[in-house]
Amino acid sequence: MNGHVKRMSFQQFMELTTTLLSLLLVMAVDSTRTVAASSSQECGNSLQQTLKLTRLAQKESVLLIKTYKAAQGEMSELFCKVSVNNVPDPNISGLEPSERIASIYTHLQSFMAHFKRVYEQQTDLQLPTSPLLGELTVVSARSRGLANLINSFYQSLFPNLPMPEPAGGPTMLPPPQNVFQQKVYGCAVLKNYKEFLSNVSRELRTLKGKVCRRRIESNTFLLRMT
Amino acid sequence: MVMETVRVLQLLLLTCCTSAPPAAAESGNYLVTAPHPSVLEIGTNFTATCMIINTAEVTADDLYWNLSQATVPKEQYTKINTTALNVTIRVSGEKDEWLFCFCKKVSPNVFLNPGKFMHGVSLQKGYRPRKPENLSCIALQEETFISPKITCSWVAAGRQTKVVVTNFTLILKVINDVVTVNVTTEGTSASVVLPIFPNFMELEIWVEAKNKLGSIRSERLRRESGYFVKTNPPANIQIISEKSFPTSLLINWKPPIMNQYVGLTYEIRFCQNGSHDWAYVPHVDTARDIQSFRLQNIRPDTVYVTQVRCKNYREGFGYWSDWSRNATERTPEDLPKGKPDLWKIDSESDVGGRGVQFICKDPVLSNGRILRFDMKVQGQKDKVKNGSWESFPVNRSDLSSSTFLKDVLLDDKRSLKVFVTAVNSVGRSAQASLFIPEKAHELAPVRELRGGVHGGQMWLQWKPPNTKAVTEYVVQWVGGDGMDWQRENRSTTHTVIKGDLEKFVCYTVSVYPIYSGWAGQAASVEAFLEQSAPDEGPTVRLSNRKPGRNEAELVWTEIPQSKRRGFITNYTIFYESRGGLHSVTVPSNTTSFTLKSLTGNTNYDTWISASTIAGSTQGPHHSFNTLKYAPGEIELIVVGASLGFLIVVVMTMVICISKKETIKKNFWPQIPNPGESTIGYWSPDYPLKAETPKENCLSGISVLDVDMSDGKMFDEDKSSLPLKKDKYLSEEHSSGIGGSSCMSSPRQSVSDSDEGGDLADTTASTVQYSSVVASNGYKGQTPSSQPQAAIFSRSESTQPLLDCEENPDTLVQEGGGRHQRFLRRPAESDPAHFNQLLEMEQQEVLEPLDFCPLEEDSELTRADEQSADWLPTAPASSYVPQLGGYRQQ
Repeated sequence: MNGHVKRMSFQQFMELTTTLLSLLLVMAVDSTRTVAASSSQECGNSLQQTLKLTRLAQKESVLLIKTYKAAQGEMSELFCKVSVNNVPDPNISGLEPSERIASIYTHLQSFMAHFKRVYEQQTDLQLPTSPLLGELTVVSARSRGLANLINSFYQSLFPNLPMPEPAGGPTMLPPPQNVFQQKVYGCAVLKNYKEFLSNVSRELRTLKGKVCRRRIESNTFLLRMT
Repeated sequence: MVMETVRVLQLLLLTCCTSAPPAAAESGNYLVTAPHPSVLEIGTNFTATCMIINTAEVTADDLYWNLSQATVPKEQYTKINTTALNVTIRVSGEKDEWLFCFCKKVSPNVFLNPGKFMHGVSLQKGYRPRKPENLSCIALQEETFISPKITCSWVAAGRQTKVVVTNFTLILKVINDVVTVNVTTEGTSASVVLPIFPNFMELEIWVEAKNKLGSIRSERLRRESGYFVKTNPPANIQIISEKSFPTSLLINWKPPIMNQYVGLTYEIRFCQNGSHDWAYVPHVDTARDIQSFRLQNIRPDTVYVTQVRCKNYREGFGYWSDWSRNATERTPEDLPKGKPDLWKIDSESDVGGRGVQFICKDPVLSNGRILRFDMKVQGQKDKVKNGSWESFPVNRSDLSSSTFLKDVLLDDKRSLKVFVTAVNSVGRSAQASLFIPEKAHELAPVRELRGGVHGGQMWLQWKPPNTKAVTEYVVQWVGGDGMDWQRENRSTTHTVIKGDLEKFVCYTVSVYPIYSGWAGQAASVEAFLEQSAPDEGPTVRLSNRKPGRNEAELVWTEIPQSKRRGFITNYTIFYESRGGLHSVTVPSNTTSFTLKSLTGNTNYDTWISASTIAGSTQGPHHSFNTLKYAPGEIELIVVGASLGFLIVVVMTMVICISKKETIKKNFWPQIPNPGESTIGYWSPDYPLKAETPKENCLSGISVLDVDMSDGKMFDEDKSSLPLKKDKYLSEEHSSGIGGSSCMSSPRQSVSDSDEGGDLADTTASTVQYSSVVASNGYKGQTPSSQPQAAIFSRSESTQPLLDCEENPDTLVQEGGGRHQRFLRRPAESDPAHFNQLLEMEQQEVLEPLDFCPLEEDSELTRADEQSADWLPTAPASSYVPQLGGYRQQ
């Protein structure tokens, strides 16, 4: 009798414990879901913010090319058809999202250096009141801002993965050029930059589906493991 | 806490002891205070220490503290040791103060060197900065992008003093960027300028308030940059009116900025032109980034004003831009909705019957310009007009909202049905109808109609007719030059007039019940929306009846209706004379009044004041005089006076008749008839008859009227007569010249003598004629030297006297003659002796036959009056020769 009573008590204790553990598990899952959702939302917001800025920068780059062509005088269309070396490649490299995001960042850094050179050249070629100089400044500043956002986004996605340094070392700027070369070079930089931004927009849209969803999935996986 | 403070102070004191004595020694002070803070926070306690150095002459017990010339109570002192004394004070007030440590004058040295036994602490006060609140920032659109200049404002909490000024530093940090800018100001707003506006970047903004007492930061405002954006309003607003959509307008606009910068949402509002009652399009209908919107379910043929504004589409982000400029457009016309408002104006016809003028308003929803009204009049007994429509074009230049259609003269025994439709460019409205019954069958009016004004509106209240068939009411008001009406539903018994009523105009407000289109009889009241004093007062005048002695009837005309400006409550008649101002108030229905109790023969100024409940206005003044005598009074006086006179006359006559003899004796004494005198027959060559008229003329008798005083004067001057002889003679000359006329003036008779005037002064009033002395010689034209009694006769001669005529002898004789007369004079003064005197004269005349009794008698008849006058003329005996001259004529 006593043994039966003891067994019964033990069973009741086990049931109670099981119930409590189940309850705790449900609460843990729920809170984890909330965290995952908020993380995903943050990712999405950050990516959306970056995407908007990319579109703005792209729009500004389009306007800048128009202004640039208008400021170069006759044959400006011709300048922009000449191929030039030593200009950043508009294509994004890398296979993994982290590599591609890092590529975007390093490209932007590279373009900023070229913008600086173009600005210096155009300062000699244009009047100080030329709108081209102002727009160049804006585009350059915008690319810096975009680079910072990309960096921030990268940090948020891959906090333990430091941003890699540019593969080819410091940005290689062209040697001293004549006026024609300067005009051709400037147009090539702007065109590549515009194309690059177009690629970035596309890349970010792709990343939006990949990175942010992956984070949600990884969180879900973690929950399953738990 | 207190113990810690004390320890800190003691440490400070030690510091001071090591540093202050050299300084004090340099200045020669024996007291040193510490600490010397740059600024103190108001509301905190401050503890200072005063130390005695380089002297044992005084101790801490001799020290005391003064704060702003008031000694700090000893309760606030803390004695550290024999040479140091602490004081703790509460820092209050914003004014700078000095805290002094003094020493009591316990020794001559202290007494003589007070400057060495004092030391002070300057207390500059301030408040610790408080956290700035309500930080807000804005970035405006500049050209086609957002300005990199961000302006922030905040509220500076707490207070400041002049000494402790708080500076604010605005700090803006672009998250994920290295950019951080700041600007410092003493105000509560500042702007920072970035290289470019950091679109889509996170910004962190805060304000740091800092002063000498510390610093504090505001809450950090961390938002995406779009949160602070305010763009320009949408541009190029266009409204498109489409004829096929009369209740719709399409609005197009352009966004003020590229959507790459800011995604925008819009707000649209619209109202009818002239109205400021804006209707807002719900936000859910203005989706993000739209650039056009269609307003629907709005009124046809109505001008609408539309405005659009925009802001960042994100909820809670950005500021609304200003409203765009007005975009105005009219919706297309549509078919008129509803019926025209048909009504009538009744009038009496001169030729009998009823005059009815039909008048019509546009339908409430005319949905376009009403071009004309089509009207059909259908008389029940006149089948000819049935079905014939007449058109009445609407004159749009007419400012009134109604259109007069047609005047119809209606027989009392006829009824009428009128139908009207309104036509605009799109089509025709529904048909309105109004029926006029026969006069004998006019339908019952409303009961107990009352009107009034409340809250600037005219209200009406009535009870419906006993019959239940009323379908609606028409409230009509007529006033000034216009009329209008409004319709009320069948259940209405109280309404306000919705038209624009003018103040101070009398409105006749009528309520007509309508029985299924049949117009009932009207019930009317008169009312003013607001009353004031009349524009002018009544003109008063006297009635056709002349004013009396004590009363006058005044009449006046009523003030014209257009100038009454209110209901006349009464008239006040004012009338004013020297006796004062009086007034009488009479009812408003009075137009005449009789003033009574007036004073006779008085000028009255009268005027009338007409009063309304809002004031009075005086009319022009009118003056009139009351009569001196009342009517009939003069006649009474005349009759009385006449009667009195008649009585007097009658009484006199009676007396005269009864006392005839006595009167005759007194006034007409018995005078001897000169005709019976012998002298009449004595002068053969002088026709007495020629002088007869003069003899009978009493006025022709020369009279010298000298009163008794003159007589006396004469007596007194008798002695001087010889001296004046020439004068008298001369006088008698002139008298002789003019004395022939009965009416000759005494002035003429004495005008040839300078002194004659003097004589005339004494005798002028009495000397009527000078006497001429006739001698016997003259009578007989035979000069004789024999003495004769002097006779008197009047000379008609104007011949100057000859020298030879002035015969002294004759003068002597004459003087003798005159002397006799002088002797008789006293007797003349006694009336009792009058007859005796006459008898004596007669005897004297009768005795000497050469006397001229005619002249004598003439004189004697006035002897009582003129006897004295004769006296001065008595010496004029020199007239005797003049008689001869007269003869020559």
